[in-house]
Amino acid sequence: MTWWQALVDAGAVAGGSGLGVWDRGETATYDTSIVEDSELQTHPIPPNPQPLIPNPVSFLSGLQRWSVVAYDGVAQIVSAYVAAAVCRRDERGVLHATHERSRAFAVAPIDRMSPALRPLLEQAAPDLESVDGALVDQPARYLEQVESTVRRARAHLERELAEAATAALGTNEWLVLDGRLSRSPAVARHPRAVGVINSHGAQFLEGRGLERALTLPAGYRTSVFAVRGGHTRTEVYSWYLRLWPWEGNDLLYGLLRVEARADRDTVTRASEVSAWLRAERAPLATPATRWDRLLYPLHHVEEYLKARAPRSPAVRSRLPVA
Amino acid sequence: MIDKAIPAAIGRVVATELKPATPHQFHFWTANATAIGIGAIVKVAGVGTEDEGRVVYGVVTEGFAYSDLATPLHDVVGAEGDPTRATEAPTARQQIRYWTGAVLRQTPEEPLQPVPLGQVYLADDADVAQALRMDGFLYSATPTAIPVGLYTSAGRDSPVYLDADFLLGPEAAHLNISGVSGLATKTSAVEFLLGAIFAHFPAHKGRIAAVCFNVKGPDLCFLDQPGDLSDEDRHRYERLGVPATPFQRVQLYAPLKADGVNLNTLRTHPDLVGDVEPLTWGLQEVVDYAEVLLNRDDIDAKADAFIDFLRDRVLARTFDDGFGTTHRVQTFADLDRFFRSVFDGLEITAGGRSDTWRTHHIATMRKVRNRLLNISTRCKGLVTDDGPSSDLPWNAFEDRTVYVIDIANVDPLGQDLVFARVVSKLREQLERRELGVEAVVVFVDELNKYAPGDGPDTYVKKMLLDISERGRYLGLVLFGAEQFRSQVHRRVVGNAGTQLFGRMDMDELATPGYQVLTPATKSKLATLPIGELMVRHPHFTQPIFVRFPKPPVLRGRDGVERFPPAADVPFEDAVVRQLVRLDRRVRPNQVKDLIAEREQDDVRRALAAVRRTRPDDVLAYFRKVLGARVDAEAGMARERQAVPPLNPISGEPY
Repeated sequence: MTWWQALVDAGAVAGGSGLGVWDRGETATYDTSIVEDSELQTHPIPPNPQPLIPNPVSFLSGLQRWSVVAYDGVAQIVSAYVAAAVCRRDERGVLHATHERSRAFAVAPIDRMSPALRPLLEQAAPDLESVDGALVDQPARYLEQVESTVRRARAHLERELAEAATAALGTNEWLVLDGRLSRSPAVARHPRAVGVINSHGAQFLEGRGLERALTLPAGYRTSVFAVRGGHTRTEVYSWYLRLWPWEGNDLLYGLLRVEARADRDTVTRASEVSAWLRAERAPLATPATRWDRLLYPLHHVEEYLKARAPRSPAVRSRLPVA
Repeated sequence: MIDKAIPAAIGRVVATELKPATPHQFHFWTANATAIGIGAIVKVAGVGTEDEGRVVYGVVTEGFAYSDLATPLHDVVGAEGDPTRATEAPTARQQIRYWTGAVLRQTPEEPLQPVPLGQVYLADDADVAQALRMDGFLYSATPTAIPVGLYTSAGRDSPVYLDADFLLGPEAAHLNISGVSGLATKTSAVEFLLGAIFAHFPAHKGRIAAVCFNVKGPDLCFLDQPGDLSDEDRHRYERLGVPATPFQRVQLYAPLKADGVNLNTLRTHPDLVGDVEPLTWGLQEVVDYAEVLLNRDDIDAKADAFIDFLRDRVLARTFDDGFGTTHRVQTFADLDRFFRSVFDGLEITAGGRSDTWRTHHIATMRKVRNRLLNISTRCKGLVTDDGPSSDLPWNAFEDRTVYVIDIANVDPLGQDLVFARVVSKLREQLERRELGVEAVVVFVDELNKYAPGDGPDTYVKKMLLDISERGRYLGLVLFGAEQFRSQVHRRVVGNAGTQLFGRMDMDELATPGYQVLTPATKSKLATLPIGELMVRHPHFTQPIFVRFPKPPVLRGRDGVERFPPAADVPFEDAVVRQLVRLDRRVRPNQVKDLIAEREQDDVRRALAAVRRTRPDDVLAYFRKVLGARVDAEAGMARERQAVPPLNPISGEPY
């Protein structure tokens, strides 16, 4: 018997073979308050075999790609591409793209470029995103800056598209966003918009509440809590939802955080919406690595965007030069 | 301004390193809901690509559907192991309909290049004509197009034509059709195609007729009677430009039964039996094809030499046997008498010491005697002892006429004999240009029986091979049908320029001859509905599926229901019926009085003479022949009837 088997036998929960990598992209701490119970509790999702699945529903997701395409000395010139799309699910369960936006642009430290290349870049790349040249001499940190710039561009595009999509929603139509709802006040206040977050870098809870959230059994949700602060001042209501059993895997396995508008109705309908989202487990979003918490329709939108994205220059650069 | 509708693309060619487009094959995807299916003809246009101006036509030979499911296990997990929950998933997985097309034609044809990665369109009528290279013989100054059916895939309704130069010669010829029995495909297809040939055979190619051997029940007995057609079938006839009417000119021949007066056919209903001509042959016709009667063990130089001797020196000549008897052999009875005389002569005159006569061994003579006389017993009614025969009009075949020879109820040996003689005579007459038509289609069903891939080399098989390999130069075209193509002689099916396939048995499709077909095409062949065929033709680079309308003729079994065969009538009534058919003025009572107390052989002989002569005054001629022959040759006639049947348990080894 291994030493950890002894621990499991004594009451610990077995872990999986995964590395348990946590998201590090966003590490902010948010101001939260419990709005459903006096303290964070767990609630079983109604075992209704036929949850109320809205029809129609639209799903929004985005894509970002970038790669270094040229060097001006050590200054790295980046070609970036961001895109977002909305796909509406029809009565047969088939997804059709209804909204789509994309942006291809260059990222470069304009102030650090040589006099010969700078005008050429400004002329050839009409959409140019300039970054601070102070980090050019530290290539790794410079690339983090580029990554952040591209991510912001993507978030901006998604927010624009989400606002357009919510404005166009039908009377009973819902919109599910891949990511936080609170980026846009208009979207955050929409009664039929739901944000689904499957990366858990930001911390909203602590102590006993955090433990309950991270050890949530499959088929359960937490109490609804209000989220304020962070990148937006728009308050939203949120709760955790476990799609698949985490035992034998890791704490984040099958764990979603759901955002909806800050309204009493959200608390009332939290279980109903949870049952709906749990029903979205099938079909599995394989072969995506995060299939345990990625809804298939959102995976579909990603695949759609990948198929329409221009071929990555990085592929070309690896071809042998004749 | 010309309002030219631009068709909507239904798919797009895609190529990957693993599945590239080639000059002969390409792959494309369509929407999940599509009219495309196996056998559909599509057009690929390189519009907007580097291949602008190139058009490729192809036929769909394989189809695939799959989703983004990485492994079936993921579906199980998604449904939590409960198959009933598998349909509860609110989102349908992304699916693809992915097709493989085989290239039919590229324009321009040179340089031959891989199929462009362009848009895919459904083929319209003009595209079908282009794709199948029909434009060359359909729109020429002297068109030679023969409709074979309608291309109906993907909701289309486009006529498909065969090139008469490649169906009926001289470029290529012959047609072979395979398919399981009982699905009304093989015979129906040939009936329809014969109608199409008669309607579209080009004038510059002359006249054409068809000879059909009816070897099964009443299959081909009612080709002149209209059958029931649906509106859909009539529409198809209209599209194909073929009249939806039964054959206008049909001549049906059937041997007589053993009684020598009733016809051995299922078309004996009183309303129709008048159109049936008796088919009877005498000794001369049989001896000319004596090889048919000999099996492989019999065939040797000695038997051949003796048959040649009989043919050249004895038959229809005054011949002295050397034992004091002079013969004039014209009938089987004469032949039997001749043999007895020779055998008696050897036994008595030579004292049994000699076993040869005119260099021929007695055993050889006994063998040939037995084979020849046996046929008169086994095929009594077809082979008669009544002197000259009642035969097909070998010098006066008529244009667009179907000659049906009903041998369904004839002994297999007799069928072989009929088949061999008819085809040989057709070849002879075509060689001499004396048949009356320039081309003849011979329809032979059951090639599995007549030209099997294995088994002995029979005379019939050799003759079928001969037609297959040389018939097209003469205008003698073989339309053969069988259930198992793989079991027919390779050269017979291989020489068929046009091949049709109805529904096939899966075991048959597993044989090497079908390896060129994709699994999907095989699957379609195995489930082909009635009235649909797969066609291979020299102009078509890939097999094409067509639908042909139901033949406008009465099907055999329907014909038997509508016109039930009459029971055999008494001898006197049968004689009356035949004479009345020749001359409506003949009174039955007069005939009955005339033949009362006459020997039946005498009556049959007189009847045969009337049939041959076709006099103006039938009754008078019948009376004259009957009276004269009975009076003058009464004694001889009595003797002639006594052709003794062979004793099957005799000690004679032959």
